[in-house]
Amino acid sequence: MNLIIRITILFVLVSLVVFIIGGVISFNIMMREVNFEQRRFLIERLDRMQLRIERKPPKDTLEWTKLKVIPLEKLINERVSFSDTLVMHSQLDRLELHLRLDAIRNVDGKSYLISLYDVIVEADDIRDGLVESLLTLYLILLGTVLILGFLASYFILRPFNLTLEAIKSFSLTKPDQKMQFPTSSVKEFKRLNAFLSEMTSKVQSDYQSLKEFSENASHEIQTPIAIVQSKLEVLIDADNLTEEQIQQISSTQSTIKRLSQLGNALSLLTKIDNKEFINVSSIDLSMTLEHMLEEFRELVELKSIKRIVEVKEGVIIQADPVLIELLLTNLINNAIRHNWEGGNISLSLDEERLSISNSGPELQVSSNELFQRFKKANQSAKSMGLGLAIVKKICDFYDYQIQYHNDADLHTIHIRF
Amino acid sequence: MKLLFVEDQEELASGVRNYFLKEGDICEVATSLSKATDKLYSFSYDVLLLDLMLPDGDGLSLLKIVKDNWPDMGVVIVSAKNALNDKLLGLELGADDYLPKPFHLAELNARANAVYRRRKQEGKQKLTFNEIELNLENHEVKINETTIELTKKEYELLHYFMVNQNRLLTKQSIAEHLWGDYMDTMDSFDFVYQHIKNLRKKIIQAGGNDYLKTMYGAGYKMKNER
Repeated sequence: MNLIIRITILFVLVSLVVFIIGGVISFNIMMREVNFEQRRFLIERLDRMQLRIERKPPKDTLEWTKLKVIPLEKLINERVSFSDTLVMHSQLDRLELHLRLDAIRNVDGKSYLISLYDVIVEADDIRDGLVESLLTLYLILLGTVLILGFLASYFILRPFNLTLEAIKSFSLTKPDQKMQFPTSSVKEFKRLNAFLSEMTSKVQSDYQSLKEFSENASHEIQTPIAIVQSKLEVLIDADNLTEEQIQQISSTQSTIKRLSQLGNALSLLTKIDNKEFINVSSIDLSMTLEHMLEEFRELVELKSIKRIVEVKEGVIIQADPVLIELLLTNLINNAIRHNWEGGNISLSLDEERLSISNSGPELQVSSNELFQRFKKANQSAKSMGLGLAIVKKICDFYDYQIQYHNDADLHTIHIRF
Repeated sequence: MKLLFVEDQEELASGVRNYFLKEGDICEVATSLSKATDKLYSFSYDVLLLDLMLPDGDGLSLLKIVKDNWPDMGVVIVSAKNALNDKLLGLELGADDYLPKPFHLAELNARANAVYRRRKQEGKQKLTFNEIELNLENHEVKINETTIELTKKEYELLHYFMVNQNRLLTKQSIAEHLWGDYMDTMDSFDFVYQHIKNLRKKIIQAGGNDYLKTMYGAGYKMKNER
């Protein structure tokens, strides 16, 4: 939900409560004032009546509209009492609530009962009026708040929204990108923008140095390896070496080679993570796969592996050719390496998915650990355990679904595009 | 062949230098861009072996200078920056080949030789070893003037031996030469054996001598029986 709508709704709800409480309070105050005024009005008339009695004391009961004066036989203490009464209203022609004042007044040693009444302002009339006026007021407020809310969200939140737009285009892989945030006179937005510029440039420089580090680390590893490699090669070429010495040098060379491949594989994983493969082009996956299988033909034949290939022609995907080649190489390599002598590999490809299955010994790691780094089916194997991690990383990069399942000793990997 | 190796790692440079010297080539070493530039202006070289990361700058800038001034000089980039970008950029700027570190000296030798021969088209398009003759232009192999049919891999294998005569080529080095980094080298050792066996057979059948010697299971050497 939009921030401004949320604030508006909150404001509207709060003001509703305030209006209800305010209504009750106003009602009570108005009732109090009305009562007070009415009583005062009756008391005033009473006083005027008293003056009149003083001037001309009546002998008998006097009766006018809304007024009755009864001279009493005995002298009684003065008192005033109010009560409500229903009287037929002359114009409205119905019973209306009236306020009635009964008072005993002593004038010249004689008591008179004076009864006065007048039409009362009814509570429900006041309430109705109040509710009506408050409701109108509330609706006006609602309209104003909504209009102002949208105007405010447009004008006041404009720099904020521009900042959001700007941050959306932020990309780590574009090191030259300098984040430009809109200027704003609002202090909070100024602080936000200052913070964001600082943070993005820091993130960029950190990312840059991290990238440089991993590149340099790879470089720094490869160079000493190259030195060792060249020295070993010179050494192994020397005359008068014994067989055992040559064997040892040769095995050292293989180890060195693995170290170098490890460095390359790790730096490749970092590069995919760093989203450095952004060259996207149309790849004829069918053709690439055929080509790849041709590259591996010798290896397959050497292990007497049977191939069942069902590749649909002309499957085109949009991706980086380097990554796709890596993906296929690793998958095929994996299927051959973890296969039996005389086993089989079946490969199928259509627009939806690529499946590769191979026979081979049962896994020694759980299937969900299979795609993690350095998880190997066989810990003693000379593979590095990075092949499937690279496959997974590439699939993640392109949002391909990758699944592994096995049926006895047939292992299958599905990749959905 | 006269080479200039631009490399800041002196130990690596001296190893490479000695390897080429043994081969009968001349190899000089420059440990920085400025030294390399000095040498290039003072002497002439056939092939430049160029590392990209140098203490005083990027090797690619030197590549531009070389291509502008000595367009005939062959250039092999030798770099640990095994980044695809560098490779593409290097080849785009006119480098003839790109060899990532670490490399086998035999492989570097083969690449430098190939570049050299491609550049110097002066009847050097043939490699010979006693009765074996390898035509680099049409990929024809003759034994005592008789042409023999070799597969692509067998030809590459023989070529590798011919440019690295009298040197022990490890199975690993051969496997990498033939299949690059595509394959797990461990797995491909058996192939190396297969291909060598086939190559040997074809040469012997055509009346040639068996010069490919197995060296204690570690590798092979092409040498004269003496």
